[in-house]
Amino acid sequence: MSGKRVAAITKRLLEQFRRDRRTLALLFVAPIVILGLLGYLIRGSASAPSVGIANDDQGPLGATVASALANSSGISTTMIQASDGDSKLKDGSLTAYIVFLSDFSSQARAGIIAPDVHLEGSQPGTVAPVLQALQQALISVASAAPAGQGVHVQPHVTYLYGGPGFDTLDYFGAAFIGLVVFFLVFVVTIVSFLNERSQGTLERLMASPLRRGEIVVGYMLGFTVLALVQSVEVLVFSLAVLKVHNSGNVALIFGIEALMAIAAVNLGIFLSMFARTEFQAVQFIPLVIVPQFLLSGILFPVNSEPKPLQVLSDVLPLTYAVNGLRDVMIKGADLSWGSLQLDVGVVAGFIVVLVVAAGATLRRRIA
Amino acid sequence: MSDSWAVDVQDVSKHFGDVKALDSVTLRVRQGEIYGLLGPNGSGKTTLIRMFVGLVAPNAGSVTVLGHRMPNVALLSRVGYMTQAAALYPGLSVEENVSFFATINGAEGGVRAALEFVKLYDRRDSVVSTLSGGMRQRCSLACALVHKPQLLLLDEPTVGVDPQLRVELWDGFKEMSDAGTTIIVSSHVMDEAERCQRLGLILFGKLLIEGSPNEIRARAGKPTLEEAFLSLSETGA
Repeated sequence: MSGKRVAAITKRLLEQFRRDRRTLALLFVAPIVILGLLGYLIRGSASAPSVGIANDDQGPLGATVASALANSSGISTTMIQASDGDSKLKDGSLTAYIVFLSDFSSQARAGIIAPDVHLEGSQPGTVAPVLQALQQALISVASAAPAGQGVHVQPHVTYLYGGPGFDTLDYFGAAFIGLVVFFLVFVVTIVSFLNERSQGTLERLMASPLRRGEIVVGYMLGFTVLALVQSVEVLVFSLAVLKVHNSGNVALIFGIEALMAIAAVNLGIFLSMFARTEFQAVQFIPLVIVPQFLLSGILFPVNSEPKPLQVLSDVLPLTYAVNGLRDVMIKGADLSWGSLQLDVGVVAGFIVVLVVAAGATLRRRIA
Repeated sequence: MSDSWAVDVQDVSKHFGDVKALDSVTLRVRQGEIYGLLGPNGSGKTTLIRMFVGLVAPNAGSVTVLGHRMPNVALLSRVGYMTQAAALYPGLSVEENVSFFATINGAEGGVRAALEFVKLYDRRDSVVSTLSGGMRQRCSLACALVHKPQLLLLDEPTVGVDPQLRVELWDGFKEMSDAGTTIIVSSHVMDEAERCQRLGLILFGKLLIEGSPNEIRARAGKPTLEEAFLSLSETGA
């Protein structure tokens, strides 16, 4: 092995990078962006699960437990009316509410401690802290029971969505189905469109009577066909093999996936205008896809993000797509739901913007 | 009268940043003529050809093609453009490539004739990525002429094509020109230049001299085109 020849390779490599400022920038900027975002998301998020408490107990024990719950660090509590509970779960302002019925104290004295616990249930991570806080708060009541008598702590737990068997895969699966399609279709499109550019065929197309819109729409349809086949495969595998929880309409899930695929195709065409090599195209993944992934609410619910990041999440299309898929698969939403209409509308609007942008950046004039 | 010009370039200049690619170029190409653009690498030939299809806009001057001021997208179906590098889809077969370019240029049929013209009909099912450089070049030529354009722009069409086939292709160009097709071809192969009706020598973005091969030899007082061009290039005409 010749040290000189090895050094020649090393030197050549570094010289190439010196001229490729973009790659250098990516190497040093992207990690800071991604890690910074991740750190801010995890450390900056303040929210403990918000739990509503409705105390209808005619005895004193309900108030005792309520104040013990209010003092627990794992959750934040507010007092509510039992009748408002379900609507607050649905609009997302509460992740759970606990009701002490009028006979709570008298039952407890008889040795049966049975508060009603209503969980929103779509986010498995929030269920445990609520049940844990309740368990600790109830210890104070257990001592009120007559000595020598068995005490039965039996919270009556109900779920608005999902259920006790609802696990992390059920929660993430819904969003990942769309994400997998979005990501792969994006990569395939950006690389093929870039090939069109680098192999010179785009110049030929531009020297033909083809209109720019015809190229964009033609590409969109071609990749959409591929993406739809892929969507079907992903969906069938998730539902039939992985048995991801689904309470919604399969056709609707497929529809949202298809929208995401079309958005990804157009994003790929659009961004390919800003890359000169396949290498540069792949660099869009850490810059465009990863931050969107982190901010889309897949890992961290958008409403638990620090406020400035929520603003960012609210303008990213993937946020709406993920939310839409979760609404359908976990909550069983259909198109009559306002939130789903918004999600689908935003993704569709994003597609229109991208088609126009892709068409506009596709220049016939190269100079 | 202007309709008899296939291409009419009036006082065209183009710069890319500080680099002057074309400097007050004026030239006209008659319908049915074979016109050769000659000049060393980087002299501005490709920039000029790209102007004929509206891919490059001049900073000054005007380009008129087949009686229409460029850019004009609708006109492009009457123009065939063969780029310098064989711009083809490597994953498609020869025939698939040619018929794709036929369709986007609005032509029906003609694929077989084009493939026979470039002697690739027997290889029509071969995937382009498996072809030799010369075969790709021929396939690229077939893509440029499949829609029977009135104006055919060829940017160094015979690079990598063997001498025997080059002669056959030029016989074909002559036939097309006799049938009324205007052909503008850039080249630095002098025996090709000999077969053009008129030549323009471009150097540093300027049209140095224009004329038939005989006129150019006479002007330079040299027995061969090669010597004529070398001497004209040195003296700056």
